[in-house]
Amino acid sequence: MVRAYTQEHVYHHQWDRVTTAAWRKFTDPDTPAVLSHIVDVHTLDRRLDPDSGSLQAVRSITVRSPPLPFLLRRILGQDAVVCHCVESTVVDARGRSMEIVVRNASLRGLLEVEERSTYRPHPDRPEGWTAFRQETSIRCKPFSALAAVAEKVEQRCAERFQQNSVKGREVVERICNYLEAETASAAAAISC
Amino acid sequence: MGSNKTSRGGGATASPCARLRDAYHDCFNRWYSEKFSKGQWDKEECVAEWDKYRACLAQHLEDKHLRRILLETEASPYFVKNDASSPADRDGTTHQ
Repeated sequence: MVRAYTQEHVYHHQWDRVTTAAWRKFTDPDTPAVLSHIVDVHTLDRRLDPDSGSLQAVRSITVRSPPLPFLLRRILGQDAVVCHCVESTVVDARGRSMEIVVRNASLRGLLEVEERSTYRPHPDRPEGWTAFRQETSIRCKPFSALAAVAEKVEQRCAERFQQNSVKGREVVERICNYLEAETASAAAAISC
Repeated sequence: MGSNKTSRGGGATASPCARLRDAYHDCFNRWYSEKFSKGQWDKEECVAEWDKYRACLAQHLEDKHLRRILLETEASPYFVKNDASSPADRDGTTHQ
């Protein structure tokens, strides 16, 4: 069974600032309080094509699952599990688009999650606003004996993902505001 | 956000590569924000930071799946948009 949902959001900040904030979302020092499920982030690969202005990067994002249903806790012998996700990002600086795909690398016997996000200048105000779109699909691997449990896990994961998506957007928004203030105060300091 | 908090990976991480990672991420964030995203994409930067960080990960990263991504510099499937779940060795060379 697959659950899929789409979210959209408009940031009232220009594209370069929003995508800068998006890169910093998981590693910002204030983030752990908001995105407490993030355990660790590492960059595994990155490459730049200087001719086309294309940047690609692969990162691992280690997360702690929500508390598992009772039956899974019994089977696995622990309350939650640590899961590695792999995030693959392509940024086209020339065309001003950022595309991110996140998939879980571990627990794929239980769950397949794919989250695709894009950041592009908003068509109504390309110099000032950024359109964000995110499509998430969560597919539970069928366990014939545990179908009901599997569906419950999927539902809980979907809810948690949605909550975390909203929190993630708030983090990006906060970093955008910080970057805006930083730019403004630097400009004020120069123009004395 | 300008404070010197040590935990940057999103939690209490005892990762031995944490400091090299933070140095690389700081450099990357600065380069991305000031240059790449504003149109200056012709020059690679943060190369020294990346090399040191990557060497540390090559030594300490434990997860097999993540190690494979890290070490497959030529044939990573994750740069293809419709990638399959197992990597295809496109050019026949692997760097181990």
